[in-house]
Amino acid sequence: MSARPGAVPASGTATNGAPPLLEVRHISKYFGNVIALKDVSCLVGAGQVTCVLGDNGAGKSTFIKILSGVHQHSEGEFLVEGEPVRFNSPRDARGRGIATVFQDLATVPLMSLWRNFFLGSEPTVGKGPLRRIDVKAARRIMHDEMAKMGIDVRDPDQPVGTLSGGERQAVSIARAVYFGAKVLILDEPTSALGVKQSGVVLKYIVQARERGLGVIFITHNPHHAYPVGDRFVVLNRGRLMGNWARNEISRDELVQTMAGGAELDQLTHELERQLGRDHVAS
Amino acid sequence: MAQPAVTSPSGATPDTVSVVDDRLAQVSLVTKLLRRPELGALIGALAVGLFFAVTADSFRTLAGVANWTDVASTLGIMAVVVALLMIGGEFDLSAGAMTGTSGLLLGLLSTEWGFSMWPAILVTFAFAVCIGLFNGFMVMKTRLPSFIVTLATFFILQGVNLGFTKAITDTVRVAGLTDVTGFESAATIFASTFWEPYNFRISVIWWIGITIVATWVLSRSRFGNWIFAVGGDANAARNVGVPVQKVKITLFVITSTSAALVGTMIALRLGSIQAGQGIGEEFTYIIAAVVGGCLLTGGYGSAIGAALGALIVGMAFIGIQFSGWNTDWRFLFLGVILLMAVLVNNLVRKSAEGARR
Amino acid sequence: MSRGTPWALLMVLVLALVGAGCGTAADDDDGGNGGAQQQNADGDDVDLTQGGDLTIAVVTHGDGGSFWSVAKKGAEDAGKDLGVRVRYSESNNDAQQQAQLIEAAVTEQVDGLAVSAPDPDAISSAVRRAVDAGIPVITLNSGLDAYQDLGAMTHVGQTEGLAGEAAGQRLADQGARKLLCVIHEQGNVGLEERCDGARKGFGGDVENMQVKGTADISTSLTEIQSKLQSDDSFDAVLALNPDIAMAARDAVQGANSEAALATFDLSGDVIQAINDGDIAFAVDQQQYLQGYLPVQMLMLYKRNLSTVGGGQPVLTGPGFVTRENAGQIQQLAEEGLR
Repeated sequence: MSARPGAVPASGTATNGAPPLLEVRHISKYFGNVIALKDVSCLVGAGQVTCVLGDNGAGKSTFIKILSGVHQHSEGEFLVEGEPVRFNSPRDARGRGIATVFQDLATVPLMSLWRNFFLGSEPTVGKGPLRRIDVKAARRIMHDEMAKMGIDVRDPDQPVGTLSGGERQAVSIARAVYFGAKVLILDEPTSALGVKQSGVVLKYIVQARERGLGVIFITHNPHHAYPVGDRFVVLNRGRLMGNWARNEISRDELVQTMAGGAELDQLTHELERQLGRDHVAS
Repeated sequence: MAQPAVTSPSGATPDTVSVVDDRLAQVSLVTKLLRRPELGALIGALAVGLFFAVTADSFRTLAGVANWTDVASTLGIMAVVVALLMIGGEFDLSAGAMTGTSGLLLGLLSTEWGFSMWPAILVTFAFAVCIGLFNGFMVMKTRLPSFIVTLATFFILQGVNLGFTKAITDTVRVAGLTDVTGFESAATIFASTFWEPYNFRISVIWWIGITIVATWVLSRSRFGNWIFAVGGDANAARNVGVPVQKVKITLFVITSTSAALVGTMIALRLGSIQAGQGIGEEFTYIIAAVVGGCLLTGGYGSAIGAALGALIVGMAFIGIQFSGWNTDWRFLFLGVILLMAVLVNNLVRKSAEGARR
Repeated sequence: MSRGTPWALLMVLVLALVGAGCGTAADDDDGGNGGAQQQNADGDDVDLTQGGDLTIAVVTHGDGGSFWSVAKKGAEDAGKDLGVRVRYSESNNDAQQQAQLIEAAVTEQVDGLAVSAPDPDAISSAVRRAVDAGIPVITLNSGLDAYQDLGAMTHVGQTEGLAGEAAGQRLADQGARKLLCVIHEQGNVGLEERCDGARKGFGGDVENMQVKGTADISTSLTEIQSKLQSDDSFDAVLALNPDIAMAARDAVQGANSEAALATFDLSGDVIQAINDGDIAFAVDQQQYLQGYLPVQMLMLYKRNLSTVGGGQPVLTGPGFVTRENAGQIQQLAEEGLR
């Protein structure tokens, strides 16, 4: 995916001048005297993908929990469509249109596709004790929504556990989109997948973007992030290492930053000296 | 053979494209049938039924059918609700003892403490709801496996059953229910027979009714969807807003209330109830549910399957009788038959699902 | 497991089951037809059972233990001796199960029904059905007070109450003042009645105690021993089961107690202990007869409508096994006949 001219906003605004769907400004989070996050800023607008990168321990999981309503930030501002918010629970976040797809995917492997799709929000028909799930509608809607993701579901009754990792991601994403998510937060969706499956998931992310959602894509793999991102945020030990628009950074620079940049250079240098030049690829 | 239901997407535009995967196959009706959790139990029931129908004359007669449906019915009511609980990911080892506690309570209320039958029945059911709530809350709050928590309840009830009975009646049973006001009408609803001269028991109707309701709940209701979810992956269910605790507590209440129903049926049928009633049955319920396709780990199973599992036990019990086999070996036969039913179930399911990724 | 293994296992189980089933069924058939032939004056074979293809169902509340196996043997031996097919089944103290087994017997249209009735109300409607179907009924072992209401011809057994009284009486006659009555089974009405009877016959101070049971003899032993140690005024102990009696014997010795020990029901060990003087006597209800006699009586009823007992119960006990007759009884117990 190459940069699309004019499609990348300057920091702080969305494409058409409307406030970003989701923005955090200088947020910090403390657990007792542990500084989990310090002074992190980030935003995502409609139809954009913001990648949040960082190695393990960088604070990504705390960050995602704040965005999804599990924790509350200790300092800073959290804005949804320009309005400050403070979520008490994931339910509140969901209510504001922020859908989070966690690594464990929130799908029940033994249950069928359509049951998973509508879990917790099953469409019903009938009243009182005869109130029952509208199975026909559920199957049809699920089929259609998956089709919008580019997937032709042959057997809605197949257990989700028999799907590949990428396909399961598709179910979670399609579900979030259908139930009115404005912002989709994906927690390390490619981390457990192989190369081909990862590519497939990246395509779904693009689908979601095309449908006007804002996507926050959390990952530790810059090679996955770069093709789909409009904006890149790198965390390191709870602090913001950088916040770039796509046209402000190249892929190699991103990889370097992720890998530690200057520190890696130094390490390479030392190794070269110790082991001899021919043993180390530069 | 796994059939991927979803196919890879195409490029930037979301046109649907069925990309051929080398493992792709159309899901046939036969496969759909084979995938059902009840299938193993159905085959088992047909096999056992056929076997005894051929080897024992009385088994085929209507009176014989009345006999083995009689045995299957009280077992079956409990097997079905225990299956619901197991699908929801929990066990209730106190279910058997609870049938005894309910019957004894009913007996004591009506014969010792002056209640007439119908109020006594209401109080008994209310008590059962409390026990179910107790089980449910204890499991949720302590976060201990329900196996352990309900085992404790089992011991408590077993002791209470004997201690109270003895303390109050000086014997180990409560008798004399037939003399209580309201006995006749209550017995008609819970313990009568129909279709003379074959004498089918009304508990069979209850059993079939409960199975139908449970099946409907599982397959067509929201609550049923939630049962599968909390048993399959409680965390995932919680993440999407399913009230996990409420669902599980409700299932415990359903189980203990059904135990009260069965205890009432037995007490009204016999006119008395022993302190040891129901002790040991809790495992039979679980076995029937497992034969019917329930996974011990939860999230999968069938109410019809559990009903069929109970039917197998009933047929085996009476069939062994009719065949005149040496009853010293009765438990051996029963155990082997159940083991076979579980094996068949497993085999059928494996071949239907094929290799999992 | 390879793919074929589960199927192979299944086949093995099926074959084993069918084989075992056929085997035991065949045993029953042989038992039914054997030994009842005699030659008449013309040298032709005469079938003594006179159109005998009789099936008698014996449905007890038994538990398959050492007591009930003797009763079962009695019933089965009667079948062999008399050329009658006997279907013995037991419900392990579960009244509902017993009712269901009785109804199964009615479905099979058996020619006679012998049942034990520890809880007569519970089985009354099932027995009533048998009576209405024209099946003669005899009660055995328990149900002395109820057999007439049930519609049974007679009752074969020993009354727990009377036996308990006799035992209590005997212990009192030996000079005992305080009796410990050991109940080993929860929920067994008959055992309660034994202790109640003993209380009546003993006249002195009687205390009941519950022990773990025959499934856990060592704990039961410890419980009895602790009891005797904590209260050394007990000078008599009454056990209600032969296995418990042996535990009591060890407990009495372990507690250095002088208490006299008596028990209900026999076993090889108990008889030996009587021989050795450790146990004063055993109350024997002769359960072999409780299995045997009803079969015979029902068979005779089918033959010529004769009834036994004259409207009264037929008592099989209490018999007492003491040092005097222990030796002979010992031999028979080892054969499973006493």
